[in-house]
Amino acid sequence: MDLTLDRIQQSALVVLRTLIGWHFLYEGFAKTLWPAWSRDGAPLARFSSAGYLRSSSGPFAELFRGLADVSWLPWLDHLVAGSLMLVGLGLMLGLFTQLACAGALALLALFYLSSIPTRGVYEPGAEGNYLLVNKNLIEAAAVAVVLAFRTGRIAGLDLLRGRERTQPVPSVAEATR
Amino acid sequence: MNLTPEQQELGRRNFLRVLAGTPAVAALGVAAATKGPVRGGPVRLGFIGLGGQGRVLLEQTDPGYAEVVALCDINPLQLQKADESLVKSGRQAVKHYADWKEMIQKERLEGVVIASPLFTHTDIAVACMEAGLHVLCEKMMGIDDASCRRMAEAARRTRRVLEIGHQRYYNPIYQAAYAGIVKPGLLGEVYHARLVWHRNGNWRRKAELPSPDYDPARWGYPSFDHLINWRLYKQYSRGHMAELASHMVAITDWFFGAQAQAAIGSGGVYRFKDGREVPDHTYATFEYPGGRDAIFTSIESNAFDNYYEAYYGTKGTLILKGEVEAYLFEEGAPADAAKATGVAVAPRTGPAGSASESRTADAAAGATGVAGGAGRVDRLAAYRLEVSGFCSAVRTGAELKCGPERALSSARACIAGFDAIEKKARVEIQA
Repeated sequence: MDLTLDRIQQSALVVLRTLIGWHFLYEGFAKTLWPAWSRDGAPLARFSSAGYLRSSSGPFAELFRGLADVSWLPWLDHLVAGSLMLVGLGLMLGLFTQLACAGALALLALFYLSSIPTRGVYEPGAEGNYLLVNKNLIEAAAVAVVLAFRTGRIAGLDLLRGRERTQPVPSVAEATR
Repeated sequence: MNLTPEQQELGRRNFLRVLAGTPAVAALGVAAATKGPVRGGPVRLGFIGLGGQGRVLLEQTDPGYAEVVALCDINPLQLQKADESLVKSGRQAVKHYADWKEMIQKERLEGVVIASPLFTHTDIAVACMEAGLHVLCEKMMGIDDASCRRMAEAARRTRRVLEIGHQRYYNPIYQAAYAGIVKPGLLGEVYHARLVWHRNGNWRRKAELPSPDYDPARWGYPSFDHLINWRLYKQYSRGHMAELASHMVAITDWFFGAQAQAAIGSGGVYRFKDGREVPDHTYATFEYPGGRDAIFTSIESNAFDNYYEAYYGTKGTLILKGEVEAYLFEEGAPADAAKATGVAVAPRTGPAGSASESRTADAAAGATGVAGGAGRVDRLAAYRLEVSGFCSAVRTGAELKCGPERALSSARACIAGFDAIEKKARVEIQA
């Protein structure tokens, strides 16, 4: 059975990678946008992860809440914003794709662990009702797919890098082995 | 217009009751921007004219929206008071200028707030816009028709933001009244509006000479009295028409959705025969399309009525009193028709007395004002929203509430009203 990816399947994977990349890139960019004004014409507050950390929930909540008050939180904020942008750029451009995927997985894992939905009911700040599985986890799974299929070999600047160029596009059998 | 406590309660409840289905009063007035989010800090502003009105605007400037970079006034004592205002509100004193041209040349500004005498508005505003600055100019727009048109043309040509300081447009009570009562047609057909601004006091001010060698001639004034009391002389001012009526006519234009077509006036200097040239008693009728009239009266001999706008419709009466209260009465409704509602209006939090110098005579009347409570707003909040709204327009393209076209309309009506009093005749306002 020929399990080589056809064009549509390859395109779908690249589209998925690009969308995830844009999500990361804009999330990071918006966090660096300060001083700035919102669309309703009001000045925006400077990004701080303190609020997010304080509202942590789940088994690791205490650990993350403790981070909200550390003196180096501004550095952490810069690190988060910078990491999001780098990962986003990598995914969108298909440059160091595997590394970008790993970074994305690490970030999403942190976001997930800080607020694992264990209660199964609507909580303030959430858009829906979640039990264990939320959008962070689903996005992480999508990133895992992009990672497994090595989409940098299908499209992206990785193709210009010699090491990647010589590698054939994997078959589904290889990717899912 | 002095209502009994029972009438006040009834009118206030009616007003709140009809607003129950509209957005929260405090939330009204937020204009949508055309772009965003956009990078940029507070708008860098210079203030030109730091008399009473300029200082109110300075004090109400939200640091999140605007950074006060420099102050300019020809009177050093005003600058000193302005610095005190800044320091009192936790901000630092900033650089002073006596010459606005020097200020806009030397400072890296994005906009200016002009609160100088009326006759200077046009030259300053046009030059600032031509220098690339956005302008928030105090009312009235200009001293005559040509001046106002020049300002509007300069705004179009330079593509700068030009807002005229009719702060009622930013007052949550007026916004709520328009959105919840006037626009839906709850008043029925409105043929008559009464605009009243009555005071019992002398508009003439006394002020300390800044220094023994201070020369008002340097700034084009023949005497220090002219500099301080510019409102009383025709070469600088249009009297009650510019300083008081323009606010009320602007709101009437808004509520009527029309511009006045003619003005009939009378009045004169009846009480304070002290050499002033503008009337201390002013009466004007503004004719609007569709057989609608707005009658403005301003006297300086009795403060019983204080100030309000009243709109009399076939189905109801809306009264907006002292910029802080609103009453609604249904035509022919029984006295017990009102029901209490849970609609909350932001409580009055600021001192209503620290208003513009145009209104110093209101202070005494304010002391006998109606009781506080639900239905009142902080009048100074309108100034704060006005400056913030201007900054939003500069930064994000948010819509102005009183841009050149609106301001031009009411200014032309008031200039016609002033001319009508001068000529004792009916003056038509050309479209």
